[in-house]
Amino acid sequence: MSEEHLAREQTTLEERSRALFQDSVERIDMRTRSRLTQARHAALEAAERARPRAWFLRMPVLTSAATVAAAMVLGVSLWVHAPAVHHATPADAANFEDLDIVASSDNSQDNVEMLQDDLDFYAWADKTAGGEPAA
Amino acid sequence: MSGFGTLTAAWMVADSSAPATRGVVLEQTRALDKFLAEIERRAFRMAQMSLRDPDDAMDVVQDAMLKLARNYATRPSEEWRPLFYRILENGVRDLQRRRTVRKRFMTWLPGPKEDPDHEAQDPLDSVADNAPAVPDILMQDQAMQKLEASLRELPARQREAFMLRNFEGLDVAETATAMGCSQGSVKTHYSRAVHTLREQLGEVW
Repeated sequence: MSEEHLAREQTTLEERSRALFQDSVERIDMRTRSRLTQARHAALEAAERARPRAWFLRMPVLTSAATVAAAMVLGVSLWVHAPAVHHATPADAANFEDLDIVASSDNSQDNVEMLQDDLDFYAWADKTAGGEPAA
Repeated sequence: MSGFGTLTAAWMVADSSAPATRGVVLEQTRALDKFLAEIERRAFRMAQMSLRDPDDAMDVVQDAMLKLARNYATRPSEEWRPLFYRILENGVRDLQRRRTVRKRFMTWLPGPKEDPDHEAQDPLDSVADNAPAVPDILMQDQAMQKLEASLRELPARQREAFMLRNFEGLDVAETATAMGCSQGSVKTHYSRAVHTLREQLGEVW
């Protein structure tokens, strides 16, 4: 058998078998086609889930972290620069004395009684101060 | 506040580049989907011819799709075809090996020697089909059955080489990648496969 004849036979075999195979592929039933499509979608979804996410795709997390950090920096800065001491004024001192008097109001009844006991003395003192000679 | 400024700037840069990257990923997924859609039926038929079981063939194809999508999606698309068939052929070989072991194990067990891979026949399958068969389809079916039977008798490596080169249209280098052997081996396997098939089918065809 010549080389040419063998080559022709080989080509025929290849072409015929390829055509038959292609025909059998086209006649795959709908159920199998559907299962293959489902398998493909499942594979792509699994690959999507397995794909490592780039750092910038995690920006919502980073943004939240940045917001918290900014809030902390702002809080610390306000705390550090806030006036630490309130300087007292004379008016404030008077107010504090008044406050002491009010606070010691539990003695006020004693004071009133003391005033009533020495009423004659105060009348005399008043007259004396007004220039009137003592009786 | 300079740290916050830097972070804001980084966020702005990232925000401007993120859609572009997402676009690349989307494009890649679409390309992979298109590739798998184009290849899946042929892959299924080739696996079915090797395994002689549609469910096993489906499992092997699904597994190959999953592994390709998971591990090699970022590779250049030209590499997908040989990589996919390499995964597929490995899956087919693993399954055949497991079957052989299972069959050996089953022969030691008492009881009826049934082929565990062979599922119960659907009674409807044995009902004669009275519809007139189209002669062309019938002839093609017969020819395909003979081809499949002849392919099954080939050694596994020769069958792989023939199917990948002739059915899938891979060149010698791609077939070598898919089979995990040298290009010289591919040529040898293919040549022997063609020789055997020609002897078996030449007269019939």
